[in-house]
Amino acid sequence: MALLQIAEPGQSPQPHQRRLAVGIDLGTTNSLVAAVRSGLAEALPDAEGRLLMPSAVRYHAQQIEVGQSAKQAAAQDPLNTVLSVKRLMGRGLADVKQLGEQLPYRFVGGESHMPFIDTVQGPKSPVEVSADILKVLRQRAEATLGGELVGAVITVPAYFDEAQRQATKDAARLAGLNVLRLLNEPTAAAVAYGLDQQAEGLVAIYDLGGGTFDISILRLTGGVFEVLATGGDSALGGDDFDHAIAGWIIAEAGLSTDIAPGQQRSLLHSACVAKEALSAAESVTVKHGDWSGELNRQQFVELIEPMVARSLKACRRAVRDAGIELLEVEAVVMVGGSTRVPRVREAVAELFARQPLTDIDPDQVVAIGAAIQADTLAGNKRDGEELLLLDVIPLSLGLETMGGLLEKVIPRNTTIPVARAQDFTTYKDGQTAMMIHVLQGERELISDCRSLARFELRGIPPMVAGSAKIRVTFQVDADGLLSVAARELGSGVEATIQVKPSYGLTDGEVARMLQDSFKFASDDKVARVLREQQVDAERLLVAVQAALQMDGERLLEACERAEIELQMRLLSELMVGSDGAAIEQQTKRVTQVTDAFAARRLDATVKAGLAGRRLNEIEE
Amino acid sequence: MGSPCHFALFELKPAFVLDLAQLATRYRELARSVHPDRFADGSEREQRLALEHSASLNEAYQVLKNTSARARYLLSLSGSELPLEVTVQDPAFLLQQMQLREELEDLQDSADLAGVEAFKQRLKLAQNELNQQFAGCWDVPASREQAERLVRRMQFLDKLSYEVRQLEERLDD
Repeated sequence: MALLQIAEPGQSPQPHQRRLAVGIDLGTTNSLVAAVRSGLAEALPDAEGRLLMPSAVRYHAQQIEVGQSAKQAAAQDPLNTVLSVKRLMGRGLADVKQLGEQLPYRFVGGESHMPFIDTVQGPKSPVEVSADILKVLRQRAEATLGGELVGAVITVPAYFDEAQRQATKDAARLAGLNVLRLLNEPTAAAVAYGLDQQAEGLVAIYDLGGGTFDISILRLTGGVFEVLATGGDSALGGDDFDHAIAGWIIAEAGLSTDIAPGQQRSLLHSACVAKEALSAAESVTVKHGDWSGELNRQQFVELIEPMVARSLKACRRAVRDAGIELLEVEAVVMVGGSTRVPRVREAVAELFARQPLTDIDPDQVVAIGAAIQADTLAGNKRDGEELLLLDVIPLSLGLETMGGLLEKVIPRNTTIPVARAQDFTTYKDGQTAMMIHVLQGERELISDCRSLARFELRGIPPMVAGSAKIRVTFQVDADGLLSVAARELGSGVEATIQVKPSYGLTDGEVARMLQDSFKFASDDKVARVLREQQVDAERLLVAVQAALQMDGERLLEACERAEIELQMRLLSELMVGSDGAAIEQQTKRVTQVTDAFAARRLDATVKAGLAGRRLNEIEE
Repeated sequence: MGSPCHFALFELKPAFVLDLAQLATRYRELARSVHPDRFADGSEREQRLALEHSASLNEAYQVLKNTSARARYLLSLSGSELPLEVTVQDPAFLLQQMQLREELEDLQDSADLAGVEAFKQRLKLAQNELNQQFAGCWDVPASREQAERLVRRMQFLDKLSYEVRQLEERLDD
């Protein structure tokens, strides 16, 4: 049977039968599924006609509840109800602890780095929770479209890193979906708008969702969507607006900050209701328990201003990265429920000096774009009709080099797919193995970047230091997923890994990769920590030295200055040694003795700024 | 690795002066024909080949659309690969670079945005001048040394414009 189905690539084997494929927007707050039906892309409703499904999963002993009813149960059953799981995707236990105070769950961390949420059904990983959401959407699509799905395009924030993408793909697989492509959300939105409006030229997509912010700059030319630059913040979204309002309620109502999980949920709920009401009303009455208070739009604007400013800064950076000017952008598209907040629209309009487009429902636009792309990938389009999406990697990829520094192999905003090689050599005589540490990020120090994988190239024939030639090749596929290969060119010895986050422990490759790293982990880690401490100390010394030179005379008493200089001398002596703990302690000490000085300098700068003059002018 | 010449991929003769709009159009056409999305249905082998073709197309486009990368590539085609980091035996240029860098530091200290803008314009002019000089000598064998010097100068200016961008980022707070 299969032998008879001969078809050209990209062509449907049975021309009259469409192959069913869907686009899924797996959102922080809401998720939805869309498909192209009779040539039109639209979101698919559930049995009750609702398009949006809250990304909420409640675990009962015997069953799983997903969507609206689960969301409603969040306050009464906070420990077994998971909301905003997207914020945990691809994150380690340590990252999650940073978010920890905001999250009511009990986390259990096993041997793996993955955070598990303890529920009545046992520990659940974020990947499983996401898979439970996807399963419901898949069932909805199959029921509505009346058949089995060929595959799905799942959207992810453009700014998602490697681990977050891989986690999303795994969740889809776990839900029984064939992933045709992981598609960046802003790119999906551009597809929905671009095709709708036959647009050409430079377009900015401002996507502020529940938990993530993305900005992408694209060039649209005859069905080709070329991403020029992308940026954002994978921990900034409407949820943060809620938290800001919740903080305001706590302060106004004089509540203790030590709040039970259930109360925290209802607090956040009150905050969210107030936020949504303020999109239309100038002022709302906020109720929480017995307390009630008045929140007006101006106060709300002040609460969220720091977050709005952060998003605008990311926009300016993306525009610079794209090598264009702000005013060259011909259209700005708003995506994500949080762009309903009037202050957000206003700030974006000011930045780009044009009214942003909001014609397609900001909650649906991503899923619709994904559906259009899914339809293309499933082979339902004729030749020449297909659109082409040329996306980029959001964060630079590189390798650790000596001294704990990141050597970038592929810079951010490079068009994918991409393959790039870099040559390294051995540094010891007779060295037969080399550790390859792959990282992602923009900072110089590897400690500031995200570690993706470590593996080892073994069996290098013993040679004099510097004479082996080891070529490390990075390859990023069209989903933005990375694989790395290392090869000694003389002997042909080779090692390859597909970079995967640590929960894929069953995967043989990853197990081996971990095994390898354990052997080296302990001394490697000590050296790295020491190096970081030395670098921190050095940075501090340089900064204090510069500050002393500039403002020491003016802002310090002689004895204060002497104390600072003494502590600095002690630190520079310790710094050349290898006692990490002592270096760290002395670094703290220097910070302490310079605290007052730093505060005075800040005051002086502020005053000078207020007077509209520069510091050096005041001195004279 | 036996890959075809970047220019040949675009059916172009090696040249320094290129019509970038035309290059972009050609790139989009080529990308359409080799992108893995076209082979979403294809065999594993087809998908792998598409990935490889796409990656080398993207690489070629990166190199050709960037002026100094293109210059360096042209020289590597007609001679030995240029070492990236060499001391420039070019004292006058080095002195000028140091002055520019000091200027940039002053701009940082004074957070002078208009000054940064003016600095960028000057940098652009300097880059254009280098490009013109390079266009006139890269394919003249007797001027090989001059061409290499120009490429190194280009790289210095690239680095400087990278620093300007980082400065803009720091000032953008």
